[in-house]
Amino acid sequence: MKWSIGTKIGGGFTLALVMLVIIGMASYRSATGFLEAAELRSHTYVVLGELRNLLSALQDAETGQRGYLLTGQESYLEPYNAAVGTAGQFIDELRRLTADNPNQQHRLDALQPLVTDKMSELRLTIDLRRNKGFEAALEAVQSGKGKQAMDDIRRLITQMEKDEDDLLKARDERLNADAQKMISIITFGIPAAFVLLAVAGLWITRDIVVPLKAITAASVRIAAGDLPQEFTSGGRQDEVGVLARAFAAMTRSLREMAGVAGQIAAGNLRAQVKPQSERDVLGNAFATMVAKLRRTISELTEGVGVLGSAAGEIVATTAQVASGAAETATAVTETTTTVEEVKKTAQLSSEKALYVSDTAQKAAQVSQGGRRAVEQSIEGINAVRRQMEAIAQSIVKLSEQGQAIGEIIATVNDLAEQSNLLAVNAAIEASKAGEQGKGFTVVAQEIKSLAEQSKQATMQVRGILGDIQKATTAAVLAAEQGSKAVEAGVKQSTESGEAIRALSQSIVEAAQAASQIAASSHQQQVGMDQVALAMDNIRQASAQNAAGTKQAEAAAHNLNELGRRLRDVVDQYRL
Amino acid sequence: MAVDWNAIRDRLKAAADALERGVAPSREEAAEILKARARALAEEEAGTGAADGGSIEILEFRLAFENYGIASSHVREVCPLKAFTPLPGVPPFVLGIVNVRGRIFSVIDLKRFFELPDKGLGDLNKVIILGDSMLEFGILADEIAGVRPIRSGEIQPPLPTLTGTRQKYLKGVGRDQLVMLDAEKLLADRDLIVHQESAA
Repeated sequence: MKWSIGTKIGGGFTLALVMLVIIGMASYRSATGFLEAAELRSHTYVVLGELRNLLSALQDAETGQRGYLLTGQESYLEPYNAAVGTAGQFIDELRRLTADNPNQQHRLDALQPLVTDKMSELRLTIDLRRNKGFEAALEAVQSGKGKQAMDDIRRLITQMEKDEDDLLKARDERLNADAQKMISIITFGIPAAFVLLAVAGLWITRDIVVPLKAITAASVRIAAGDLPQEFTSGGRQDEVGVLARAFAAMTRSLREMAGVAGQIAAGNLRAQVKPQSERDVLGNAFATMVAKLRRTISELTEGVGVLGSAAGEIVATTAQVASGAAETATAVTETTTTVEEVKKTAQLSSEKALYVSDTAQKAAQVSQGGRRAVEQSIEGINAVRRQMEAIAQSIVKLSEQGQAIGEIIATVNDLAEQSNLLAVNAAIEASKAGEQGKGFTVVAQEIKSLAEQSKQATMQVRGILGDIQKATTAAVLAAEQGSKAVEAGVKQSTESGEAIRALSQSIVEAAQAASQIAASSHQQQVGMDQVALAMDNIRQASAQNAAGTKQAEAAAHNLNELGRRLRDVVDQYRL
Repeated sequence: MAVDWNAIRDRLKAAADALERGVAPSREEAAEILKARARALAEEEAGTGAADGGSIEILEFRLAFENYGIASSHVREVCPLKAFTPLPGVPPFVLGIVNVRGRIFSVIDLKRFFELPDKGLGDLNKVIILGDSMLEFGILADEIAGVRPIRSGEIQPPLPTLTGTRQKYLKGVGRDQLVMLDAEKLLADRDLIVHQESAA
């Protein structure tokens, strides 16, 4: 078996293609034959139809002629007129359709003059009927010339139809034979090709698959890490044999690499790796790896030394950091407490500021009321001053009237004085009169007494008037003082109104200031809340920091330990 | 200081009512006054009736805080000193002359004449016109008390303390430090007459 696998598969496919072509060509030929036969059949049917049409046209012409001959009416000539045009066309069509058939062409050559004769005989009889009357036309018909022509035409057409029928039969028989041949090709050719192709496919498959299965099983083991000791190629020279040998070489190479890796794993970095070529990826990679490992381990050794000393320093530093973190945590706790206190204070001051704001607003309202009260009191005091002035006027008037009374009293006093003197004179006169004047003496005495009483009364009135004068003076003085006091009161009220207005202004400003204080202290409170929150976060963070520092301390210890262990590990490698 | 305006109004109303009633005293008051006068008159009647040795009417007047009396029989009349005309070239005790209803009288200031302390002149000064069959003149009085009868027995000799010029014109003293002037002596006194020629 010297054939390669490509040749074997190519041969199988070629066999299958050849069979496919044979069957396809046979099928194509039968199908084209069928199509041709069907076309010829329809052609024959067309020719038969044309023949019948021609006959029918001639019969129509004859029918029209007979009707006219009998009646002499022009309307019976309509079928004749239609047929005269069409008959010639039908003959031309038949001549074109049967151009490939010389027999039919001969018959058409014979038919054409017969048709022409018939048509001219019909026209002759019609002209006779029209020009010479029924008798002449009947005479022409009875000559039998027209009937003879018609019989000839019928006979010729019947022959042509029979010829076409024979042609049709012969074609049908040939078609049936072709169909039988086609069926036999399909019935026997396809199973034979199937059997042949199945046998060829089975043999090729077996030849390729069995050695490939062995190689696949080995590959699976290699993939699982198991390198088989030896792999035989079986001496085959085709592609499978080449594959088996290449596989064996690969396994060997892998085993060598595995040996080197084992040495490296045992800590022997002095093992030499020789790559098989420049394109040996694994070998080159191994060589590079060993070189790099050697360098890395030496660097690692130095690094481990540095790491050991650094870890020691980290341990020391971490201890310091841990104590610092503890102190920070304490400080943060104290600060948090302080912030809490400050927050409380801010809250208190905010409440106080609100209270002050409210109070200031109330005070502003009160001062407004005070201003109104002061204005009202100023008005009242002004009214009092007017009343005082009215009182002073009244008292002055009273005093003037007292003066008038005094004048009247002076007059009365004068009158009393005169009456007194009169009485004295009367008494003197009476005493001069002696005993007769005694009664008059009494009268004079009485008058004198009256005058005395009048004088006394005027004296009393004068005294009373003096009292009244004093009292009025005192009252006027009092009214004046009262007026002055009222003016002073007005002034003081105005001043106090001004003072209250200034106070109200100050209070309003104080209220605004207190509102602003309240607002700012509220902001302060909010800010303190945020500070408190931030301090709490800081406290938590510093607690976490302390914990983290402890962990870092532990981690530093671990790191130190790790450094020692790493030194032990690195010491295992022989460079 | 709370003022009880209601009380003040009540007092004002009372005063107004009193004014409304007027000067006319009520019936009871008038009866009371009349009764008092009747009692006074009855007393005097009784006094006069009980007198022995008769009584004389005197005009009582005041001069420099002292009560003086003079017999009314020599008194023509009394009149107020309204307007007087001083006279030049007369002794200081002659005040001047006055016109009483068309008659001219000279007026003598007794205070100057008696060398008593001067009180000054005024509307209230009165002139008492004395007169007898021969002579008529006026004397100045500070105040006229009135005419009243006194018993002759009441008048006692003048006190020795009353000295000076007026001793010559005194009749005696009565009750209530009443000094009785002797009108006849005053009228008859030549010292009081200012002679035109001698004056000249």
